[in-house]
Amino acid sequence: MSALRAFCALTVLSVTACGQALLDPAKLLQPPTDAWPTYNGDYSGQRYSTLAGINQSNIKSLSLAWVYRANPGREPQGGGGNNAPVFKGTPIEINGILYITIPDHAWAVDARTGREIWHYAWKSKGGWHIGNRGAAAWHDTLYFETPDCNLVALNMADGKERWHTPVCDLEQFYYASVAPIVIKDHVITGVSGDDLDIPGYIESHNATDGKLEWRWYAHPEPGTPEAKTWPSVEAMMHGGGMTWVPSTYDPQLNLIYFGTGNPQPVIAGQGRLGSNLYTECIIALNPDTGKLAWYFQPSPHDTHDWDAVQTPVLFDGEIGGRPRKLLAQASRNGWFFVLDRATGEHLLSSEFVKTNWALGVDAKGQPILNPAKQPQRDGALVTPNQGGAINWPSPSFDPETGLFYANAARAWSVYYLYNDDDKPEGWGGNDRSGFSEAMLQAIDYKTGKVQWSHKWPGNGGGVRSGLLSTAGKLLFAGDPNSNLVALDPVTGAPLWHATLHTSLTNGPITYELDGTQYLVVGAGDTLYGFAMQTR
Amino acid sequence: MRRLILAPLFCPILLGQAGPYQRQTVDQGAALRGRQLYTQHCINCHGALAKGTENGPDLIRSPLVLRDRLGNEIGPALKKLPGHKTDLTNAQVVDITNFLKDQIESTAKNRNADRPPNVLTGNADAGRAYFNGAGGCTKCHSATGDLAGISRKFKDAVDLQQRMIFPRQTKPTQVKVTPAGGATVMGQLVRIDDFNVSLRDAAGQYHEWSRTPDVRVDVDDPLAAHPALLDVYTDKDIHDLVRYLESLP
Repeated sequence: MSALRAFCALTVLSVTACGQALLDPAKLLQPPTDAWPTYNGDYSGQRYSTLAGINQSNIKSLSLAWVYRANPGREPQGGGGNNAPVFKGTPIEINGILYITIPDHAWAVDARTGREIWHYAWKSKGGWHIGNRGAAAWHDTLYFETPDCNLVALNMADGKERWHTPVCDLEQFYYASVAPIVIKDHVITGVSGDDLDIPGYIESHNATDGKLEWRWYAHPEPGTPEAKTWPSVEAMMHGGGMTWVPSTYDPQLNLIYFGTGNPQPVIAGQGRLGSNLYTECIIALNPDTGKLAWYFQPSPHDTHDWDAVQTPVLFDGEIGGRPRKLLAQASRNGWFFVLDRATGEHLLSSEFVKTNWALGVDAKGQPILNPAKQPQRDGALVTPNQGGAINWPSPSFDPETGLFYANAARAWSVYYLYNDDDKPEGWGGNDRSGFSEAMLQAIDYKTGKVQWSHKWPGNGGGVRSGLLSTAGKLLFAGDPNSNLVALDPVTGAPLWHATLHTSLTNGPITYELDGTQYLVVGAGDTLYGFAMQTR
Repeated sequence: MRRLILAPLFCPILLGQAGPYQRQTVDQGAALRGRQLYTQHCINCHGALAKGTENGPDLIRSPLVLRDRLGNEIGPALKKLPGHKTDLTNAQVVDITNFLKDQIESTAKNRNADRPPNVLTGNADAGRAYFNGAGGCTKCHSATGDLAGISRKFKDAVDLQQRMIFPRQTKPTQVKVTPAGGATVMGQLVRIDDFNVSLRDAAGQYHEWSRTPDVRVDVDDPLAAHPALLDVYTDKDIHDLVRYLESLP
């Protein structure tokens, strides 16, 4: 780190005084090499790095460089949820500094040594503390959401708060967990919560002062054709569709892409007959206006809590011999979808794990729910279970192999309907889980076929590790046995591993500083930094 | 209304913690009194469970009710809204808020069953036939042996159903490891992943091997027949089987 950069990073001097912004927004438009400046590294959501310093020929020499353990202190957290510190978010890395979060806490950590630079603690007033997916940055400001519904802006140099602004209403049982994303000068925020029947939405806030610019609700306007997918305006306005996972973005098309969560009530769907737009949808919006460009619905009338919020991954490729701007999602319901991201045209639907709930696909390419596999009073055996064939952990797309990777599970549960009233509220049912097996799936986006599948041995269970692929012909993943594993992205053969103290709880990232390529993963309360000197 | 506004300051027990976002902790005695008042004055328009009718809105989803603390929103609203009871005492309003908050909290937690689902919908004769035939259950189980009186071991038939579909491991998984040119070692599986396998043998000795291509590993899961059925049996088969198992004397 240059002396000037270190000075800027470690002091409260302004951007102007230092002569450069801490994050040049142009970095957000380039594939990351010395930085991992946003949740997915770049806007594409591919989680593919062009770095090849760590590669198949030297992977066996990859070694641990540092360990950083979160210490949030003893300040009790408000609200409910998991109070043990767990890194469920992806760190971002800018100019040699990592920024990492858990609910109510953010840290700056030296990306070369794992030494803590500053710690910020938000005094919580409540909300569920189940996880925080990470931070976003713009120039010299860091943004993260808190469980008690605030977007907090910090000075990246010293972690001091600049401002905070509400993003949701705790009174209505919303909370916030998602990583914000900065698009131009907009900070895009999402919301969480599915205890009560409240509508999901995303918002845009001005990056300078946090002022609300627009809000887009995950339901249609009353009176529109899409509103007919609900039995009543009241059901629609209380219909859920939370926005749990950050958006991806195509700067040329000027569209952001994200998924919406389950409709409400979650399990008992008899009071919301219809496909329930725009819940369970992949959504394309104009980030300047919040205007809807198109939508596609992976789980019409979901009754299984299969949030369709998994990262919509953007890449260009050929389908049917024609070059296309594509978007692909491996959805929690076990189906893989490829769409034209300019128009939303459906191109492909296929199962990436075997499921038992769909009767086929309709003319729009959307799976048709088998009514018998909706939750029943006496139980319906369903795969995937509520945890899903995949959950929030990030997939990866490798443009060299053309394969889309998903750390998946084949999981079963029995879904029960507890409330068969005409107007259930909340959940009105649930599933009880049992058997599951975890596997890493490599999906050919042109055919939807699983090119290879690597079943993780041992005790199954869902894997909560995201993925990273690199130009070093490596695919990094966590297994259910506390291993960080590097695999051959072409064949799925495991090539290297390191056993950590617990399983990965976030997605791996990589960056190169001073001729050393780093690989950083989070497992529980610990960040592990691996390093390879490449020149 | 002054008393109501000040009430949170003097009633810390009724609130979880200080601060504007903390939810009102339900006083069950007050909720019971509130239920009676609600039944008397509110039920006709807002419904038995406060979920609304054609004549009155849902109060569980009402932002005003959600925002309310001990009547500080509901009290003034009752006085302003046409057709509402305006002469309730402040204490009665607080009781009604406790009833409504209780309904809200119950709704927010209703993913946890408040009554067991009725899973005994199958046909015991069909279940017997599946048990003895297509299900292959008799390979390991006996209706007069290990499964005799099985329903008495479970509090509810739903637990029996769950245990049948997703049995708990009661016996350790066994594994045999044969290194290249070496003798086979058997024992209880301790851990297996792509890279290592470990076991504890009958003498209690711990062994571990790297999983190189010349190391043979054979895992014997005594419960493997159960997950194998997941792709095979139908929901009807399951309900029939549970009804049959529940009937075993």
